[in-house]
Amino acid sequence: MADVKDALTSDHMELYDTLTARRYFAKFDRITAHLLRVAGEVESEGRLTRTEARTLGRYLTALAATFDALSHKYLMTGRAEGSPRLTFDRHDSGFPVAQELMVMALDAAQVDKHLGGMASETELKDRMVRQIVRDLAVPVQLQFALSQRLYYESLAAGGLFWARNDPDAQWIEDKGDRRHYLVHWAVYDAQANLPVVYLMDVEDSGKKPLPNDDRRWPLVQSHLMAQSLGGLKLLTIAQGFDKDFPETHPKRLRRITLGPMHSHDFTLQSGPISQVLADAQAPDGDDWAMVWTVEDLISDREEEVKDGWFSTAERQVFRLDPFNGADTGATKTERMVILPERPYQVLAELNPAGLRDVQKFVVGEGGRIIPA
Amino acid sequence: MADFETQILESQKQVAAAQAKISEVTGRIEAARAKLDAGEAAIDIENATLDDVNKHTDVMNANIAELIMGLDDVTAGFSKDFDEMRSKTGMESFVGIFSNAKSESMRQERLRTASIDTKLQDLIAKSDVIVRLLQGQLDLLNTQKTRVEVNLGDTLTERETTVSALESVRAEITTMDPKIIELENKISVEQDAAVRTKLETDLAGLNARYNALVQDEQVQLAKSQTLERYIEKGKTWVDSLTNQAATQLVLINKLQTDTKQRVVLYDALTSSLKTAQQQDVAHRINEIGVKTDQEAQAAMAAIGAATNDKMADMLESHEQHMVFARQVLEQKAKADERFARRFAKIVEKHDKNAYGE
Repeated sequence: MADVKDALTSDHMELYDTLTARRYFAKFDRITAHLLRVAGEVESEGRLTRTEARTLGRYLTALAATFDALSHKYLMTGRAEGSPRLTFDRHDSGFPVAQELMVMALDAAQVDKHLGGMASETELKDRMVRQIVRDLAVPVQLQFALSQRLYYESLAAGGLFWARNDPDAQWIEDKGDRRHYLVHWAVYDAQANLPVVYLMDVEDSGKKPLPNDDRRWPLVQSHLMAQSLGGLKLLTIAQGFDKDFPETHPKRLRRITLGPMHSHDFTLQSGPISQVLADAQAPDGDDWAMVWTVEDLISDREEEVKDGWFSTAERQVFRLDPFNGADTGATKTERMVILPERPYQVLAELNPAGLRDVQKFVVGEGGRIIPA
Repeated sequence: MADFETQILESQKQVAAAQAKISEVTGRIEAARAKLDAGEAAIDIENATLDDVNKHTDVMNANIAELIMGLDDVTAGFSKDFDEMRSKTGMESFVGIFSNAKSESMRQERLRTASIDTKLQDLIAKSDVIVRLLQGQLDLLNTQKTRVEVNLGDTLTERETTVSALESVRAEITTMDPKIIELENKISVEQDAAVRTKLETDLAGLNARYNALVQDEQVQLAKSQTLERYIEKGKTWVDSLTNQAATQLVLINKLQTDTKQRVVLYDALTSSLKTAQQQDVAHRINEIGVKTDQEAQAAMAAIGAATNDKMADMLESHEQHMVFARQVLEQKAKADERFARRFAKIVEKHDKNAYGE
């Protein structure tokens, strides 16, 4: 038992040092800003509709807000006594471990209690000035108190990416007697420690509209959340959903895995990307490559099957990738990598076989995204 | 978990009591210091008080250790969930008598909606409550320690000055001895009454100074001894505080490591139980109404491919794993060893209770 536990957490790393922790968050601050631009780029290529891009954009903004909140929480790591440390997954993730987000949810539930008992920002700053002038000392503990206050304030402000972000439905159009919805939700995968966004096109033939149907909608929500595991193939999720809810017909299911984030200094990577980042010897701000995977499962046709002795049900037959569909459980899988110019230069020179099929986005001067 | 709640309350009470006692002792040490400044010699920090505090913190730590062990009982709830995911319910078994497929599909449906997220959140919350309890205690210990240390520092300097004063008094006394002997000798041989009287006045003055110095020596000696006793008490207290702080750190460390690993483990187990659904042969087949042998063939091929992938993954991750496993294991071993050393007795007791040896 103990061995399994150790093996499962062997890639988890704590950030001890103040500057390292700040550099880590600065890195993600830059990357999340680029992600929004990449989403725009993918939309202009026509692979995402306006609604989908906006939905994805909302999750990306939330992710940025979460990193912002965590950066406040861990601002004084290694400086103030008793300040917490961030744990992140350094192998094939680069993101904070899922538990960080679970603890954040716990903190958010008690945010009023914390903010109520804390001195205000002005008061803390006033006390800092007084301590500096009077004692000629760095007011470390007050700085820590302020960082925690900012953390709780950002939790209270909301709009964060949580460990689980429950499904929401967006009406798209009416198709005959069916309504077409875009159901979207997101989870922070606890196995891979990565944020994952799900987009599902659903046709609804129920009497009441799906999001207003108190009989089905809560069940649909909890079903989808319980099935959002990285280890499950899209086919498994879609078929299970199709089977359990006869009046909803999943037509297309997409899973967008944001990450892993590779960095020569922070993370450990196997495969060609490790060589690319090592050779690039990029300066602090440019030492990263962010992978982004889109799995897509499209329904091919609908068939009527016998369901029980007297009833029939509409079932989707999904189109699978002819070569390795049985393994991936998806119609197609696309990978994209976003990286700054310098690592890209090395990538283009090495041109490793494993990264040839991956679509590349290069971050150019002034944060411009150039599809390569 | 009413049991956990009451235990938490009990621990909170004990922590509060222990904190009051600790503050009281520090208060006494500070009061004694004030008395010293006022020139009083009495110090009323008895060894008994220190022992009392130490005994109390021992009880408190034992209680918190029990609490941490008690989390195991909380986690027992998980294993029930996992069992349910693996096995069939009564209804499902009943349906299974008529239709095995229907029974299995009912189980699959139940598995699809199963989630342990709430329980995980609960586990994190509970462990967080204990960590906060411990952290509060640790903070108190540290502030008390700094206060006593500052106090001790001042006292040490004071004692140094006292000792040097004592030494200079002693030196003066030593230099006076020959002078007095010389005077006494002079008096014994002096014939002139007037000179003799003057010499005797000198001697009386010298003797008065000598006596004053001897008295001063006594005072300084007493002061130095009092300060020494005070320092000794203070040092004992700082040692005790340091020890307690170390205990708190060990407890916090152990608890955080355990919770972290548990969350990951439970999540991994749920994930693997759920992914088991897609390994079922029937499930692999997406097309409806395909012949059974085709299904079996495709499934076999897929499983074979999956196994190959798995092997490749394993080999790849093995290399990574080897590099870090040792470091992590070392850290874990250290934390475990520290914990075991300090709580061997409690662990033994707990194990006996739990397994009825």
